[in-house]
Amino acid sequence: MISGLVQLFLWQGLGELLSKFFLPGIPGPVLGLLLLLAFLCLRKQVDSDLALVADSFRQHLGLLFVPASVGVLLFLPELQTHALAVSTALLVSVILTIAVTALVLKVFWYFSLKRNKHITMHKGHRHE
Amino acid sequence: MNKRIPISEIWVYLSGDPLFALIITLATYQLGYLLYVRAKRHPLVNPVAISVILTCLAIALMDMPYEKYFEGAQFVHFLLGTATVALAVPIYNGFKRMQGKIFHIWVALTVGSTVSIASAVAIAKWMGASDNIVGSMYAKSVTAPIAMGIAERLSVSPTLTAVFTVITGMLGAILAPYILNAVKVHQWWIRGTAIGVGAHGLGITRAFSVNEEAGVFASMAMGLNGVISAIGLPIVLTYLRPHLGF
Repeated sequence: MISGLVQLFLWQGLGELLSKFFLPGIPGPVLGLLLLLAFLCLRKQVDSDLALVADSFRQHLGLLFVPASVGVLLFLPELQTHALAVSTALLVSVILTIAVTALVLKVFWYFSLKRNKHITMHKGHRHE
Repeated sequence: MNKRIPISEIWVYLSGDPLFALIITLATYQLGYLLYVRAKRHPLVNPVAISVILTCLAIALMDMPYEKYFEGAQFVHFLLGTATVALAVPIYNGFKRMQGKIFHIWVALTVGSTVSIASAVAIAKWMGASDNIVGSMYAKSVTAPIAMGIAERLSVSPTLTAVFTVITGMLGAILAPYILNAVKVHQWWIRGTAIGVGAHGLGITRAFSVNEEAGVFASMAMGLNGVISAIGLPIVLTYLRPHLGF
C-alpha cells in the first residue's frame, strides 16, 4: 500500500513542477494524472499496490472535500437569497448533461451499427 | 495528589489542537458512510452531505471559526491532489475496454460538459444569482478535486464549487436512471459514461452496483471529463470572459 502512495506522490510532484515551470494554466495534479496515464499505457499494466490505493481513493473521494465544503457556512446568507436560482440551475443542468451525453453516444452507436450491417450485407452478396 | 483539572480546561486544550478538526471530519464521515451502507447505498443518504452538515453544526455550536477548523482539516484537504492523480488508474482501465469508441466518447464528453456548464451558468445568471455563485457554476460539473483546482485558477470560490459539485452528484445519482430510461438508452457502456459525466463519484458507486461495465465506463468518463475541462475551461474562458461580461 505504501508503494502505491509513494508512486502517486512522485507523479503528483512531477506534475506540480511541470505546472510551475512550463504549463502554469493546468493544475499540477491534472498533469500528474496525465503523466501517470502515459506511464500506464506504456507499461500496459497497473501494479496491484497502485490499484489498491487508487481504488480506495476513488471510493472515498468524498471525504477529501468535506473540509472545503464546510466553508459553506460562510456563504449561507448568500445562498439563501439565491436559493431558487441555484437549485434550478443545478437541477436543469444535471438533467441536460446526462440526457445529451447519452444521446450523442446513442447516435454514434446507431451509425456504427448501420455501417456494420452494410458491411455484412455486402460480404453476404459477394458470397452468393 | 494530583490537582484536578476542570473539564472546561481539557476542552480548551483539545479544541485548540489540529487533531480535533481531523476527528470531527473523519468521525462524521464514518458515521455518514455507515448510514449510507445501512440504507443500501441510496444516493439521498450521501455520506459527504451528512459529514458536512454535522461538522458545520459542531463547529457552529463550539463557536469555532472556519479558519481554525481548516487549520486542522487541511491534512485531509491536501490529499485532493493525490486523489486526482489516482484517477489515471480508472481512466486507463476504461481505455482498455473502449477500443474503437475513443473518438465517440471524446466527442460526447466535450458536448456533455459544454451543455452542463452553459446551462448552469446561463440559468443562474438569468435568475439573478450573485457573481460568486455564477462563477462557481463553471467547474461544478467536474469531479470535485479537479473542479476545485480549476476554481482556484479561475479565481472563483472553491468552497461553493465543492458544494455545488456534491449537490450535482446527489441529483445526478438519483435522477440518472429515470433520465436514461426517458431518452431510451439501454446500452450499459452508454449509461455508465453519461452517469460519469453528470453525477461524478456518487454516480459511479450507483453504476457499479447495477452493472460492472457501466461502473468502469462511469469512472473513466468522470476522470476524462475532469482532464478535458481542466485543460479546456481556462483557455475557453480567457477568450469568452470579455464577451460574457463576467
